[in-house]
Amino acid sequence: MRRPRVHLVLLVVFFLLGFPAGAGAQVSTQAYSLPSGGGHPHDVAVGRDGIVWYTAQGDGKLGRLDPTTGKVDLLSLGIGASPHGVIVGPDGAPWVTEGGTNSIVRVDPQTRQVKSWPLPEARGYVNLNTLTFDKRGRVWFTGQNGVYGRLDPRTGEMQVWDAPRGRGPYGIATTPDGAVYYASLAGSHIARVDLDTGAATVIEPPTKGQGARRVWSDSQGRIWVSEWNSGNVSAFDPRSNSWKTWKLPGDKPRTYAVYVDERDMVWLSDWGANAMVRFDPATEKFEVFPSDRPGANVRQILGRPGEVWAPESGTSRLVVYRVK
Amino acid sequence: MNRLGRPLFLAAALLIGSPPEVQADTARGERVFQRCYACHSVKPEESNLPGPNLGGVFGRRAGSLPGFDFSPAMIEAGLRRHIVWTRKTLDAFLADPAGLVPGTTMAMPGLSKAEERRDLIDYLEKATKAARVAPGKSRERVTR
Repeated sequence: MRRPRVHLVLLVVFFLLGFPAGAGAQVSTQAYSLPSGGGHPHDVAVGRDGIVWYTAQGDGKLGRLDPTTGKVDLLSLGIGASPHGVIVGPDGAPWVTEGGTNSIVRVDPQTRQVKSWPLPEARGYVNLNTLTFDKRGRVWFTGQNGVYGRLDPRTGEMQVWDAPRGRGPYGIATTPDGAVYYASLAGSHIARVDLDTGAATVIEPPTKGQGARRVWSDSQGRIWVSEWNSGNVSAFDPRSNSWKTWKLPGDKPRTYAVYVDERDMVWLSDWGANAMVRFDPATEKFEVFPSDRPGANVRQILGRPGEVWAPESGTSRLVVYRVK
Repeated sequence: MNRLGRPLFLAAALLIGSPPEVQADTARGERVFQRCYACHSVKPEESNLPGPNLGGVFGRRAGSLPGFDFSPAMIEAGLRRHIVWTRKTLDAFLADPAGLVPGTTMAMPGLSKAEERRDLIDYLEKATKAARVAPGKSRERVTR
């Protein structure tokens, strides 16, 4: 295997935002510029150890950032690779939806060895998107061309199902009690997956044609949805089978990504405002954190307690929002 | 197609079809189009996708498909920069969407390989000539 390329981050920008954050908390940001050959991050994931992994889709690489030193390692995922999603699994390893080779990929965080589980050839190219672990150690994933699937890494067994309304499956997430939901961008709905049978049940948000792109759960199991077409954020409560919807601020919001932090604050990226947005469900108020550069294009958000990471695909930077 | 019809159809296609190299390019281009398929269609009836229908895209001014909610950047690209979709402009856009149209909401990061862009454009040129979307039927914007 080729040795991973090692880079030092060329520029680290640190600045304190004067925004009065919720509950009196202060938010500071730090931006890490990424090296050429491993830039334009699509998705990002941070492990419990603080190491940050990101997909450099256009370069076919998986990036590893150590935020304490700023060092970036680039790991090749092979010829034709085009990784989209990355999460840190319960084993502490980065798991990737590797769209270029139509595979689910695990990278050993110590040895950097890459292990792939290709989708069945008969399925063809599915435009792999995002993945999540259930509470039984299985990986669930979406393919934007109209599929979702499940991999049991212990046995290698993989199943792929046709999505109920065809193309569109995008973000996917697991609730604290282990339920799995995905969003369909082209289908404008979310779906709950039966963990045993694999059947997906469509759940319609109240706004027609809203373009549900990503989903995330809060601590109560409510499903938060970033609605791309409508510029809304909405929440589905499975306990009452009810929805609530809010429009993001600004003239023409475009809500791309959603993540709920450990305080149940909802973080969103808005391409219309070129900003990260934080929503407090308790007060129903938004706080807007504009990027300091045009065209940030944050496509996904993930974090760990005290940190929210936003990959700025348009500026080739990883930006962390630290909340105290 | 029945058992007899399929070989006859294939034979006819070989006799009257394009040269083999062109066929190969469009077949490869159709595979490349699978990366666009989640948001775009070349079929007129599939107009309710996140991206604009591509029927009749060649010769069309950027951001001008009636009924589609384009980004301000794409509308400006057509109105002020007079970008019209041709093989050349499509190639530039597919290579670096945000480079040609800064502020575009087409999230696809670009196709870095020139041969893939060429094959895709070959396919689009062939597939979209016959498929012009009806005005007002397309909705929403392009993304990945």
